[in-house]
Amino acid sequence: MLNRTLTPELKQIDKIDFVKPQVFDISGDTKLFFMQEVPNDTARLDLYFDAGTVKGNSGVASFVNGLLLSGTPSKTSIRINNEIDGLGGFFESGVSNENAVVTMYSLRENLLPILRIMKDAIQHLALHDHEVEELINERRQRFKVSMEKVSFLAQRGFQQRLFNDSLYGRVTNEGDFDKISIPELRRFFNENYLHGLTKVVVVGDLSQDEVDEIIDLTGSWAKGTKSEFEKNISNLKGSAHIVKEGALQTAIRVGRMLFNKTHEDYNDFLILNTIFGDYFGSRLMSNIREDKGYTYGIGTMVAELHETGYFLIATEVGKDVKDATLKEIRYEIERLQTEPVGTEELDLVKNYMLGQLLKSADGPYSMTDLYMSVEPYGLELDFYNKSIESINSITPERIMELAKKYLNWNDMTVVSAG
Amino acid sequence: MITFERFKLDNGLTVLFHKDPTTPLAVVNTLYDVGARDESEDKTGFAHLFEHLMFGGSVNIPDFDAPLQMAGGESNAFTSNDITNYYDVLPAKNIETALWLESDRMLSLAFTPKSLEVQRNVVIEEFKQRYLNQPYGDVWLNLRPLAYQVHPYKWATIGKEIKHIEDATMEDVKSFFHKHYNPSNAILCIAGNFELEQIKELVNKWYGDIPAGIKPARILEAEPEQQEFREKIIERNVPTDAFYYAFKMPERRNEMYYVADVLSDAMGRDKSSRLYVSLKKEQKLVSEIGAYITGSLDNGLLVISGKLNDGVSFDQLDKAMWKELDKLTEHPIKEDELDRLMIKIRTSKEFQEQGLLNRAMNLCTYELLGDANGINLEHEIYQAIQPDHLQEIAIRLLKRENCSLLKVKALNNAE
Repeated sequence: MLNRTLTPELKQIDKIDFVKPQVFDISGDTKLFFMQEVPNDTARLDLYFDAGTVKGNSGVASFVNGLLLSGTPSKTSIRINNEIDGLGGFFESGVSNENAVVTMYSLRENLLPILRIMKDAIQHLALHDHEVEELINERRQRFKVSMEKVSFLAQRGFQQRLFNDSLYGRVTNEGDFDKISIPELRRFFNENYLHGLTKVVVVGDLSQDEVDEIIDLTGSWAKGTKSEFEKNISNLKGSAHIVKEGALQTAIRVGRMLFNKTHEDYNDFLILNTIFGDYFGSRLMSNIREDKGYTYGIGTMVAELHETGYFLIATEVGKDVKDATLKEIRYEIERLQTEPVGTEELDLVKNYMLGQLLKSADGPYSMTDLYMSVEPYGLELDFYNKSIESINSITPERIMELAKKYLNWNDMTVVSAG
Repeated sequence: MITFERFKLDNGLTVLFHKDPTTPLAVVNTLYDVGARDESEDKTGFAHLFEHLMFGGSVNIPDFDAPLQMAGGESNAFTSNDITNYYDVLPAKNIETALWLESDRMLSLAFTPKSLEVQRNVVIEEFKQRYLNQPYGDVWLNLRPLAYQVHPYKWATIGKEIKHIEDATMEDVKSFFHKHYNPSNAILCIAGNFELEQIKELVNKWYGDIPAGIKPARILEAEPEQQEFREKIIERNVPTDAFYYAFKMPERRNEMYYVADVLSDAMGRDKSSRLYVSLKKEQKLVSEIGAYITGSLDNGLLVISGKLNDGVSFDQLDKAMWKELDKLTEHPIKEDELDRLMIKIRTSKEFQEQGLLNRAMNLCTYELLGDANGINLEHEIYQAIQPDHLQEIAIRLLKRENCSLLKVKALNNAE
């Protein structure tokens, strides 16, 4: 008779194969990373530009990014989109604080033809009045919709106080949409796109000739030198509340400036982060969702910037349980600082994290992304072997030590909206 | 080509096995043939609430997630109007842990009062977070009952109202489980680097002794053919007027389903689509517009939705919109436009099928439709679509008496 109360025997993950992409020089520090081992006909190309929001005022970075395919003197945006769609291409572009990334997905045989269209579109970008105006209207509407969401309001307020008076702390205001000027867009575009390419990432079973052509096509945009970013940002400690009339829920953001992968405590802190709030069985989820039912979800994360990083707790809770939630978050922090994590919980988190790492390394796309998340810090894939070591060797005492060092309530920026 | 093997246990459980020798991970996907359409009208939101309870411990195992995490895995689930789907992703060498957990919750749940109480609250917060406390969040709560008068698609998976969730009792929960959660009402797909014999042995070991149960009959009132144009206006505290044109379309098993899917692509999938180019780029009436299908198993909806530019009226949009739709009914689309749609479909399919989890889910969905091998025939069905098929479906669908229009009017608040 089958005994269903007994867990089947577990096997440990002893080894994960990490595969590094090939690296080619484009110009100076601008490089191309190429992952060829793709067992099907799909391909992806990413272009990274030093054109993030820290580079310009009043949303100029985001506007230029949104206008990249808006037409040249000889081609309308409609025609450019027609041509890319005609090759089955998917185009995405986005801006973060530090980067602008332009991504194309397609069948591999169409990747080069699509890139040639994009090259022409970006190289000869016209910034037509009517296209700029249309985008301003679209973004203004979208901004107004976002301002109705408590999650957006809290995140925006948090960003201002976390990054304080640094360039990272600037947020969009409604008035910014009236200030957009085409000469300013043009200047930003020339500086940060036509001379701002910092890396190219190619995934797909392409030939060497095709890779060479990608290098040729993108070479003239190469920045060639390393990008410089702000250091020593410190968050504004304490609480702030943003009033949103009629909201049924309150959004909460709690966090502080921290560090990135180059810091000696990073790997161990990631384990603390997981226990605290980064998986379904975490302390915060168990307490605030699964025990109290205050929220649909609560989570923590460690986000990284080029020179630093930050820690964040985020949730949306019923409007009458905001204070109760903050109290429980503090309670869980204190517990991490004063009670050693039990063996069973720690084993579970270790196994879970190893399983996640195995998943992050599965398949050429995931593997490339995994590599690209250490590359900016001058690290290699060996970083992940160190993560595994760290997971295998961490102790409950070390976790308490880190909780005391980095999770002090008085160091936190707390923002709520509701 | 996605290869698979199929076998059936004596208790009625259908099992699919998909071998992928390239990955160290395994997927265990379980599709239960139950969705919001199987709820009674006075107890809506139940299939989804129940999905939450499936993580609250089973008859022999107090907690679902912890043992799976201990095995290096993770799990999630979703409920639609048609189905409830649970999946586990974990290192292949620990596959047995997932089968142990999934089979035990198929056998029976723990049914603890605490789990019901907490998940009721969690789902109520989900209701607020996703449907009530978001601009335009309640659109589907209004559009569904406008488009459907009889069929249970008239309510959303989250439920008609929060009260139905508040009122759920343990008795309701138990009877829902006994009716819908049994082997004959489930399709299991296992994907990863295994051998068929090994999978047969493991599945027999863990699922073989689960009592068969009876596959519940599904007799839903068919939605009568719509005869009249319907319109509803709701006023909300949102920044911009928004519109949702919903057209009834064929059920999933009908081959015209695929044609309607391509028609929606032609109208509003990409930046080269007709409505985007005409209404946004050329006439500047809207700030955003798109067209898509709900993908429902019974007669679903083809939806065109978007937001008006400031100073544009619903009537202006309406005239311009029908002018574009009439072009699709009056003239067949050109070959180059069709080619553009087809290469997009082919490219997305290639990308979707990269993922092990997607393959496992799609195999289960096609098995529910009748044959898992449908996943391999889909491509041919799409590629065989011709301009006259598209014109035919446009004539059938794109008429006012087949349309339900929801307008969300922005209240002028002096801010």
